[in-house]
Amino acid sequence: MPMSVKDMRREFSGREELIEYLREQFPEAEGEEAGATRGGRAAAERALAGVDPRRYASTRNFLDGAVTRLAPSIRHGVLSLAEVRDFVLSRVQRANDASKLILELGWREYWQRLYAQIGEGIWRDRENLKTGFRPVDYSEDLPDDIVEGRTGLACIDAFSRELRQTGYLHNHARMWVAAYVVHWRRVRWQAAARWFLTHLLDGDPASNNLSWQWVASTFSSKPYFFNRENLERFTGGRYCRECPLKGKCDFEGEYDEIAARLFPNAAMESAR
Amino acid sequence: MNPDRNHERIVWVHGDCLRPGNPALRARPDAPAIFCWDDELLREWKISFKRVLFIYECLLELPVTIRRGDVAGEVAAFADEHGATGVVTTFSPSPRFGLITSEIEKSYPVEVLPEDPFLDYPGEFDLRRFSRFWRQAESYAYRGGGEQLKLW
Repeated sequence: MPMSVKDMRREFSGREELIEYLREQFPEAEGEEAGATRGGRAAAERALAGVDPRRYASTRNFLDGAVTRLAPSIRHGVLSLAEVRDFVLSRVQRANDASKLILELGWREYWQRLYAQIGEGIWRDRENLKTGFRPVDYSEDLPDDIVEGRTGLACIDAFSRELRQTGYLHNHARMWVAAYVVHWRRVRWQAAARWFLTHLLDGDPASNNLSWQWVASTFSSKPYFFNRENLERFTGGRYCRECPLKGKCDFEGEYDEIAARLFPNAAMESAR
Repeated sequence: MNPDRNHERIVWVHGDCLRPGNPALRARPDAPAIFCWDDELLREWKISFKRVLFIYECLLELPVTIRRGDVAGEVAAFADEHGATGVVTTFSPSPRFGLITSEIEKSYPVEVLPEDPFLDYPGEFDLRRFSRFWRQAESYAYRGGGEQLKLW
C-alpha cells in the first residue's frame, strides 16, 4: 500500500533530523528539551542487559545507586513485566537476590490492576487526609517558583530542573519533591501530579497519581515527609554542600519536630 | 470494494504496548498496523516534547503506519483503506482506551487481547493496600514461564 499523505515520516538520517521534524509537527508540545534517553526496544534491551539485581537491592535508595532506568520502557510496554521478571531471575543464583526488584515490578502490577478497577478515580482522593487539614486548605495551583526551579532550596531546584530537562527523576527525589510540594507548600497533589505527567518519560497516570496520594496520605495511613539528614545521606550531600539555606532550611530538625510544624492539628489530635 | 482482502483485520497499536512482540502484533504479524497520536490527550496532559520524542523513537522500531488526530476515527479510516473486517489490539487499563475502543466498535468489531501476564493467577486479588495484594501475589511473581529473552 503506498504511503498516504496523512502518514507521518518514518525515515530519518539521525536523531537530529527526527528532533527537527518533531518540533515542526508538535509545536504545542511543552518545552524544548529533547532528553538523552533513547526510546525503542533496542535501547530497552541494552538497559535490561545492564541490570544488576543484587546491587539494585543494596543501593537503589541512593541517588547514585544502581537503579535500572527501565521505567519509561515498562510504562510504554516496550518491555513487559513478565519479560523483565524472567530476565532478572535468570541473572541471580537465588531468587531471593532478585526480591527487591521483583517487589518493584509488583508495585507496577498493583497500580495497573487498581487502575483497571477505579479508572478516573485515580484523580480523586482515595481516603481522607491524615494531616489534620481539609482538602480546601491546599492550593489548587502549583507555584511558579517550584516549576521554574527557583525556590532557593538547592535540592528542590535541582530536581525541578532535572525533571524538565531529562524527563527523569530518581524515585527518592520524586518522594522528596512530592512531600515538599504537598506538605511544606500545601498544594493539592493533583496539580503537582499533572506537572510530573507532563515531564516524566515514565509518566503513567496510575503509578504517578497513586504515588502522590501515598505521599499526601489519601492512600496511606500517614503522610510521607523527610528531614535534611535523610536527604543529605541519600544524595551524598551534593545539594546541601552548596545550598545557601544550609543549616536553616525547611527540612532541618528531628522527625517529631517537623511533624509538629507541618501538621499542628494532627499533632494536637494525637496528643489528646 | 478494495481488492486487497488479504488482511481481514488491522492491528491498532497504542502507547501502552510499544514492543514489536506485543500480543496484537504477534497474533497478526502480517496485518497492516497503525499507531495514531491522540491530539486531544497531548493537549489535555500537556505532554512535553521529550516524551513525544521518546515515544516516536519507540514507534520507529515497530511495523506501523504513524498518523495523528482523533484516534477512533483514524483507526476506522485505516481499516476502511485496507478493506478490513475488524481491529485487533492489546488491552490497556486506561479509561481512555475503553472510550476509544467503544468508539471504534461503532464501525468495526475490536478484539482486545490480554497483555502478557506478570502473575499467572486467574482469580482476583485484594487491592485495598499493596501489602495485602503482595501477600497474595508474591509467590506467583516468581513463576516465570515466558520464553527467555536472548540479549547476547
